[in-house]
Amino acid sequence: MKLSGRIRWILVVLACLAVSLVCVVYPIYVIRPFRAQGARELALALAVCRFRPVLTVVSALVAAGAAMAYWRAPARMWRRILAAAGAALVCVLAALARVNVYELMFHPDDHPAFAATAEVKLDKDDKLIVVKVRGSARAYPIRTMGYHHVVNDVVGGTALAATY
Amino acid sequence: MDGLRLTFHLAGINNQNFLMRDEETGSYWQQISGLAISGPLQGRQLTLVHSDELTFATWKAEEPQGTVLKDVPKYAAQYEAKDWDVRMKRAPVVIQFAEQGMKSRDLLLGIQAFGASRAFLYDQVVKEKLVRDHVGAEPVLLVMGPDDQSVRAFRDRIPGVDGAPDFYRMTASESGALLMDAATGSRWNFQGCAVSGKAKGVCLEPIPMLKDYWFDWRNYHPGTTVWRKR
Repeated sequence: MKLSGRIRWILVVLACLAVSLVCVVYPIYVIRPFRAQGARELALALAVCRFRPVLTVVSALVAAGAAMAYWRAPARMWRRILAAAGAALVCVLAALARVNVYELMFHPDDHPAFAATAEVKLDKDDKLIVVKVRGSARAYPIRTMGYHHVVNDVVGGTALAATY
Repeated sequence: MDGLRLTFHLAGINNQNFLMRDEETGSYWQQISGLAISGPLQGRQLTLVHSDELTFATWKAEEPQGTVLKDVPKYAAQYEAKDWDVRMKRAPVVIQFAEQGMKSRDLLLGIQAFGASRAFLYDQVVKEKLVRDHVGAEPVLLVMGPDDQSVRAFRDRIPGVDGAPDFYRMTASESGALLMDAATGSRWNFQGCAVSGKAKGVCLEPIPMLKDYWFDWRNYHPGTTVWRKR
């Protein structure tokens, strides 16, 4: 059975939509809190994260081209609008594929500032993660780290990431 | 890493241990191990910087010239309570290892060293104040700080001295000494350094230790054993 040219363009838009949807939804589905992550599915989800910026842009370009070709073909207006909307959605997904939900949810401390021990108002029993590198002593209060989780820092000339 | 400074962001979760993404290469790193599990740097390992978990009082006494991470005022109202790790014991888990009499959210002090892994229940160490044990074939010492909350681990050997030191705990003294050893008769502080006696000036070798929940520790240390008081 031979598909007409018009139908083929629609199928191309739908295929691009499917690829982009998988790129955006699959990592969110696998890498979500309070769900066990299997080693293989996690590896696949992270591979999707790695390659989706390129995959989704290619999908968006192909979908836009297919929708334009369909627009020029003799078809009913509502079908043409639907094809164009499908391509627009692929473009939106290409933008969403550049966003990591976790990086939005958790607020990093991008410009960590430090105070001398004597100036700090902490309780005696406040807990700290402490390091000492080449004579420089640094402390990261757990109350703060439990919120930001990662602090990129330099202590005693050594770049380190404090994590909690 | 190879002369490239990496900037990490929290970017995902793997069985309740978080994943970090570095801005520079886009690789994903497991928090607990520092291992890149995906991306261009997959298989590479970050170097562990030795750290301790201490109370502010203990750290301030040890490092009066140190510096402390400041709050970010915009977020300070949302910061966690000081007993965050204890509160989190009520949170559900997604993987379980019902073995060695451990519960998923039991808080432990984990040591991975000398080719072995060993877990020490935090509450039991607090109770004992001094734990002498082995990790692999190596004798180790877990010492409770003067605040009855902070714990450090050391190799149970005095550098330059043959034989077992046979440490025992003293009642708190003004010099800050917590331990005494039978081999040299020296007194030792919480930083693992002899403050008086034949070994004065000598320091024990510290061992990195991680405070963690059982399910997370066991997931990444499948061969771990658990210390119990005999």
